[in-house]
Amino acid sequence: MNVLLTVNGERHELDIEPRRLLGDVLRRDLGLFGVHFGCEHGVCGACTVSMDGRTVRSCLVYAVQAEGHEIETVEHLDRDGDLHPVQQAFSEKHGLQCGFCTPAFVLAAKGLLERHPDPDETLIREELAGNICRCTGYVGIVEAVRLAAERMRAAEARR
Amino acid sequence: MTGTRPPLVGARVARVEDRRYTTGAGRYLDDLEPAGTLHLRLVRSPVASGRITSVELSSWDPPPEGTLLFTGADLDPDLGIRADIDTPTAQPCLQPALARDVVRFSGEPVAAVLHPDQYAAEDAAECVDVDFDSLEAIVTIEQALAPDAPLVHDGWRDNAYVRRRRSFGDLSAARARAARTVRLVLRTNRQAGVPLENRGCLAVPDERGRGVTLWTSTQIPHLVRTYVAAQLGLAENDLRVVAPDVGGGFGVKGHVFVEEVLVPWLALRTGRPVKWVEDRREHLLASIHARDHLHVVEAYVGGDGHVEGLRAQLVVDAGAYSVFPWTSGSDSGMAAKVLLGPYDIQDYEVEDIAVATHKCPLGTYRGVGRPSAVFTMERLMDEVARQLDLDPFAVRRRNIVREFPYRTATGPVLDSGSYAQSLDAVEEALAEELKDPRRGSGDRPIGVGLSLYNEQTAHGTPDFTVRGVPIETGYESVALSVDPQGTVTLATGMQSHGQSMETTLAQVVAGELGVPLEHVRVDHGDTAGTPYTVGTWGSRGAVLGGGAAARAARRVREKLLGIAAHNLDVQAADLDIADGVVHVVADPARRLEVRDIAYWANRRTDRLPPGVEPGLAATVFLDGPERGTYSNACHGAVVEVDRATGKVRIQRYVVVEDCGVMINPTVVEGQIYGGVAQGIGSALLEEFVYGDDGQPLSSTFMDYLMPSSADVPLIEVRHLESPSPWTEYGMKGMGEAGAIGPMAAIANAVADALGVPVHETPLRMQRVWELATGSARRWAHDDWADLPGLSGFWTTGEQNERP
Repeated sequence: MNVLLTVNGERHELDIEPRRLLGDVLRRDLGLFGVHFGCEHGVCGACTVSMDGRTVRSCLVYAVQAEGHEIETVEHLDRDGDLHPVQQAFSEKHGLQCGFCTPAFVLAAKGLLERHPDPDETLIREELAGNICRCTGYVGIVEAVRLAAERMRAAEARR
Repeated sequence: MTGTRPPLVGARVARVEDRRYTTGAGRYLDDLEPAGTLHLRLVRSPVASGRITSVELSSWDPPPEGTLLFTGADLDPDLGIRADIDTPTAQPCLQPALARDVVRFSGEPVAAVLHPDQYAAEDAAECVDVDFDSLEAIVTIEQALAPDAPLVHDGWRDNAYVRRRRSFGDLSAARARAARTVRLVLRTNRQAGVPLENRGCLAVPDERGRGVTLWTSTQIPHLVRTYVAAQLGLAENDLRVVAPDVGGGFGVKGHVFVEEVLVPWLALRTGRPVKWVEDRREHLLASIHARDHLHVVEAYVGGDGHVEGLRAQLVVDAGAYSVFPWTSGSDSGMAAKVLLGPYDIQDYEVEDIAVATHKCPLGTYRGVGRPSAVFTMERLMDEVARQLDLDPFAVRRRNIVREFPYRTATGPVLDSGSYAQSLDAVEEALAEELKDPRRGSGDRPIGVGLSLYNEQTAHGTPDFTVRGVPIETGYESVALSVDPQGTVTLATGMQSHGQSMETTLAQVVAGELGVPLEHVRVDHGDTAGTPYTVGTWGSRGAVLGGGAAARAARRVREKLLGIAAHNLDVQAADLDIADGVVHVVADPARRLEVRDIAYWANRRTDRLPPGVEPGLAATVFLDGPERGTYSNACHGAVVEVDRATGKVRIQRYVVVEDCGVMINPTVVEGQIYGGVAQGIGSALLEEFVYGDDGQPLSSTFMDYLMPSSADVPLIEVRHLESPSPWTEYGMKGMGEAGAIGPMAAIANAVADALGVPVHETPLRMQRVWELATGSARRWAHDDWADLPGLSGFWTTGEQNERP
C-alpha cells in the first residue's frame, strides 16, 4: 500500500503492508532506531513517538494510519546539533542508565512540559506513569523534568 | 586496601555515554540487520508437560514461500544447555535447543522457522502444527515433593535437582541456651528481572568462510563464547561474541540460553545471517524467572531477643531446567550460605533444596537468593520483637556483628561494616513516623518497617570452587593502551548496561594516569581484542573491573614516568603527571606532554631508555578477595495501608548504605534507586502466576505489573563508608544491594500497620486485604515440616554433607 508519511519534517513515499506497525516502519524503513519496542502491547511506552504534538505508542498505531499526520521522533530534537533542554537535563540529573527507555521518556517529558510548563512532582509522576523504566527508579527522571521545566520557562521568559 | 584514591575517584562526574542514549543513537541488538538476514521465530510449547507426537508445516494453511523449518530431530541430541552441579545428590539434565520428545514448560522452544521477512516468519510459526499428548504438570513445590509424583526428568529419583545439608557450630547447645523457639514459614513468590529490552541475538557467518560472529544482548560475552563454541564444535578462536548496547540485564542476561546455541547453529547451517529477537510474551514465559523460595525456619531465642541458633530449610522452585552457568541450585545454595547476614549466629543447620517443576527455568536476578534470605531473617527479627515485646531496632542491635573481621558460621569473613551506625541512622531518619499515632490504627494505618542486611560482593575463586558448578571463578580483566596521539583506550569483556562503566572506569584510568577524562575511552562487551573475563554480574564491576583498571593504569604510568625521566635526565621519583603533562615536581617548567611520550613509546623508540620495550600498554586480570567483600545497608519504609482495598502506598523510603569507597557517588545512588524500585515491585506488585495445569497466567504487562513513576517515592539515600581492607581503594560492590532490602522492609511495615504477621510476598492488594480482614492463608510450620519431602530434615539429627 502506498502511503506518504511526514516524519521529522521530511516526506517519505513508502510502499508498505497495512499491518506493519508505525514503530517498525520508523525503525526498519526510515532508520530511526531511537524508537524501541519493549512490549508491543501498549504498556511500557518505550515506543513513544509524537503525532501532531501528542505522544502515542507506535506499537499500537499502524504505519498507514500515520498518513496525514506529523510524526516526530527523538532524532528530531538535536537536529541543529544542540541538545533539547530535556535531553540535557536527563544527562545532568542522571535520569538514564541503560538508555533503552530514554528516547521515549524524553518525548513524553517534552510533551508534558509543552502542556504543563510548571508541573509539580505529583503531576510529573502521574503524567509519566505510562513509561516504564527498570533502571533508574525514576528519581533522576523526575529531577530532570523539573530542571528542564525551569530552564524552558526561563528561556520562554527571555523571549 | 591497595592504592590511595587518585583525583576523580569519588567525584560526581557526569556520564560520558549519555549523548547517544538521549538522542536515539544507541544501538541495541534489534537495530542490527545485515543484508540477507533470515529471521528466526520459535514455535513454543503451549502445554506445560507433554509428549510431542508430531511437528510439521501445515498442509491446509501453507506457510509463506521461502520458509525453512527445523525441529529437534534436525539437531544433535546433545545440543542445548547443560549445567550440572558436582555434588552427590545432584541430578543432571539437558535443555535441548529444540525439544525432541517431551516438553517440560509452557513456552519451551519446539520448532524454529526462518524467513527473510520478520512478519512472514511470525506468520510461518503459526503454520506449524505441533501435536502433543498432554501429561500431568507439576506446578507447585508440594506437588514436586509428593511421594510418587510424576518425574519432570526421566530417570531421576525424585524431583530434586539437588539437596544439600550443612551443620555449623552446636545447635543442641544453642537450643539449650534459648528461652523459646520461634517457628516461621516464609514464601517469596516467583518474579523476574524483566529488563526493558528483550533478549535477542544475531549470528553472522564470516564471509571469508572462517567462523562466525554472534551479536547478543548479554552480560557475559566470554562465557557465551566458550560455551557456544564447544556446543557447535567450533574452534573458540573462530567465534567472536559481541554485546552491542544492552537495554538492561539485572542478571537475566547473565545466562547462556538455548537460543544462543541455536541461532549460530542455524547461521552455519544456512550460510546466512540469522537473527532472533523475542517478544515480551516470550520473555515473560521463557527467559529466566527468579525468587520463588519457601523457607521453613526454627530459631532458638534467648529471653533478651538474642538468636542463639537457627535451623532452616530453604526450598526453591527452580523450574524445568538447570540454567547455565549458575545451575538450578544457585538461589537455594546462596540463600543457605548468606542467610545469617549481619548477625552474630554461629550455631546453624541448613538444608537447601532446588525442586524441578514444569515451569520456566529459574536463574539469577539482582540479589539472587539474598532478597528471600533477608525477607526471612528480617521477618524473624520482627517476629522475635513481637513475641518478646521488644523494639525491632533493639532486637537487631542485640544480634548484630560489631567487631571486624568476623568469620561467619558458613566460612566467608565479614571484612568491615557499619551495621550499628546504619540502624541508628534509619531510626533517626524515621523518628517522627515511629511516634506517629496513626501507626497501626484506623482505616488507613501507617506502618514503619526496616530491613538490615549485608551483601557478599566481588567474591574470589575459592567461593566458586566450593560450589562445584560451571561458573568456577569471578575475576575481571582489562587491556589498557595509549596510542601515538596520547589518547587512551581501556578494553574489557565486561559489559556496561546501565552501570556507567564508560564513565567510572575512565575516571579511574584518568585519575591514575594523570590525563584528562576526555582522552580516555572505554570499550566493552566484545570478545575480540579483550582478555578473558567473566562479564558483568555479582556486584563486582567497580571492585574488580575498576581495580584492574587502576593497576593497568599504574603500570602504564610507571613506564611513562620512566621514559620521561630518561628524556629529562631526572629520576622518575622527581616527576608527577597532571592534566596530561609530566613535570618535575621541584621545577614545573621542566615538562613533557604525555602525548609526546606516547608518540615516542609507539613510534620514536630511539627515545626509550635502554632495555625498555616499545609500546605503552598493560593487561591486568584481577581476582576478588577469597570470599568477597561485604557491603551493608539498612532500609526503612513508611507505608500507608488502605484496609478496605489492600492498597499499600509507600510514603517514605530511606536507605543508609555503605559500599566502602565509591568511584562515583551519583552512579552509586542511581544503582540504589533502581534496585529499590525493583525491590518495591518485588514487595508489592510483581508475580508470575501459573494455573493448575501449568499455564502461565502472567504473560503480558497487564498481568505482570512493574512499578511506574507513580509507585516509587523519592528514595532518600545516605552514605556511610567502611572501606574494605582487601580491595583497590577499599571499594565494595553494591550493584544488587538496592533490590535486596525492600521486600523485608515493606513487609515489616505492612505488618506494623495491620498488626498481623506477614509471611508472603508480593503484597498485592488481594493479599493485603486478606491480611486486613483476617482471611489470609495460613503459613504454619507443621504444614510444611511434616511433608514427606521435607520432614527428613526436621526429624533426623544433624548430618554433615560438606563441612
